[in-house]
Amino acid sequence: MSDATAYRCPYCRSESSGTDASCPNCGAPVDVKIRTTKSGWTELPAVADMAKIQMGQSSCQITGRLVPTADFTLAANDTVYFPHPSFLWQEDGVTMDAMPMRRAWSRMRAGLPLVMLQARGPGRVAFSHDTAGELLAVPLQPGAAVDVREHRMVVASGAIDYDWIDSGVWFTTSGGNAQDQASGMKLLKMGLDVAGMASGDDRDRSNEIEYHYPLGQYLDRFVARDSPGVVFVQAGGNAFIRDLAEGEQILVKPPALLFKDPSVGMQLHVEFPGAGIKLWRSWGNRYLWLRMWGPGRVALQSLYDRLEDPGTDFRDACAYSQQKW
Amino acid sequence: MTDVAQRVECRWCRGQSPATATTCTRCGAPLDVRNLVTDAGWRQAPKIRDLTEVQAGASRYQLDGTVVPVAEAELAEGDTAYFEHHAMLWKDFSVAMTVMDTPGGTKRILAGMPFVLSVAHGPGRVSLSRDGAGELVVLPLDPGVEVDAREHAMLVASGNVTFSYQKVQGLKAMLAAGTGMYMDRFVATSAAGLVILHGYGNVLQRTLGDGETIDVEPGGFLYKDASVTMAIDTISLTPEGANQGVAAVKGVATRGFAALKAARQLTKGGDGLGGLLSSGGLQAAAGVFTGSGMTLMRLTGPGRVGIQSMYLHHETA
Repeated sequence: MSDATAYRCPYCRSESSGTDASCPNCGAPVDVKIRTTKSGWTELPAVADMAKIQMGQSSCQITGRLVPTADFTLAANDTVYFPHPSFLWQEDGVTMDAMPMRRAWSRMRAGLPLVMLQARGPGRVAFSHDTAGELLAVPLQPGAAVDVREHRMVVASGAIDYDWIDSGVWFTTSGGNAQDQASGMKLLKMGLDVAGMASGDDRDRSNEIEYHYPLGQYLDRFVARDSPGVVFVQAGGNAFIRDLAEGEQILVKPPALLFKDPSVGMQLHVEFPGAGIKLWRSWGNRYLWLRMWGPGRVALQSLYDRLEDPGTDFRDACAYSQQKW
Repeated sequence: MTDVAQRVECRWCRGQSPATATTCTRCGAPLDVRNLVTDAGWRQAPKIRDLTEVQAGASRYQLDGTVVPVAEAELAEGDTAYFEHHAMLWKDFSVAMTVMDTPGGTKRILAGMPFVLSVAHGPGRVSLSRDGAGELVVLPLDPGVEVDAREHAMLVASGNVTFSYQKVQGLKAMLAAGTGMYMDRFVATSAAGLVILHGYGNVLQRTLGDGETIDVEPGGFLYKDASVTMAIDTISLTPEGANQGVAAVKGVATRGFAALKAARQLTKGGDGLGGLLSSGGLQAAAGVFTGSGMTLMRLTGPGRVGIQSMYLHHETA
């Protein structure tokens, strides 16, 4: 007699028979030796090429290694939704609709897609992201949710609710850049301003407010309500996942965060290294971090956009903690 | 009977490990790897096995990931490691940070190089990664050994390695080399240390004999032993049989155009003084000196030369 819940996938934690070569829910190889760094990060075992993931009547096959694609075989009336840039190809039988978003104006200002597209079976449709790295399947059981960094979602099964929340991590600085402030450039620009000769970059922008969102302005939140589903997320480079115990905290480079459980708390953290010359503010004398604490899991990507920090004092900011060494 | 401990030599870093070791205890390279070299003599950097650990004094470094690899330093009490701050991926809350003023600060600002390097103090963990797909190169340095690396190629170095920089000699070389004005120089002075570099794409290494030379595309250069000397080799691309007079006129015109382009870059401004002299302006200015030729880095042995296979310009200042 086979026990349907004999195997618990170490990566996505969903249960299966363990008799397949890969986890039917997330595609991670079964029986893989768990690869965990000494500090406790589990490296996502690369999804085996051609691994198949079952989602109700539909299935998805992950193909490719450098920039993997997700090939769906959708059953009749099964749906998946996706931001349009991740669309790769589809067969004739598949129909497409737009799935409008609420708060369109805010989304537009944040640079997020205004509509998601929805593909309806029967037929095949495939997706990929434009970043080299791992394609992660994050299965969600009813009642479970996950917060994903913006622009990282590739596709999600129709059974999963999509919402988006404020990241709550932001600060503002005065306009202009730090080097201008430090050099005589500021005076020069003020002079040009007064003389009415300033245009474009020559204007004195020190009275303008610049908004900074180290984590992005919004996070995508996926919630499985009544039925299970899968969210596919593209990691830049390699993906690492770690469970934080209740109250355990680490510092994470904000652009490296890939996804987290909603139970994981986070806050902007500013660290000032000891010694050094304080005068040159933009040359690495403060580090912006995301302080994250458990309980729950956190996933990181090793390839991330560079974090832009003008290095000047905050005008205003979300609640943040700081450490001076 | 005396049991003589057998050692196995690593073909990569030339260090010795116990005969029972499967990976080099100093640089993490698999010891059972077939020592494949290309016909030209380039050896591919060893595929460092995922989660390989390397020892540096009392601290350990674990190398994780295969696409965009991560170096995770587990620093012992009193040990330090230094790096460019934007390479930090995550760290323990308790790891103290200081900054290290680099020698020649103002010159480095002008060159767009980091003015200060960040220093992490053990005990605790700090993890680092770069902004592109590639490979990590672990270079264990014995006392007295000096290695030059392309600017920004360093991912992390152990605190006992002395950091300095080597100005690329000669104005023409500096402008034309494509590696920037400076190369980082790492020297293990009193104790053995460790430098981990990140190369974009794949990394290949070749050992040059005494007096042996090789021309390398400047963007592909990654590191070299300090004993390897560098010069600039300009190859004129005048078509065979072309009228020399016409070619000379064209050359002057090209230089004039390059000078105009350089002047335009230099007056763009916007990024402050550092931006004025950043690579865009320098590269344009290089045209004034090189004309329509092709510029290569001529490296002369003896010593090791490392190159990277992907060398699009990455804004990693």
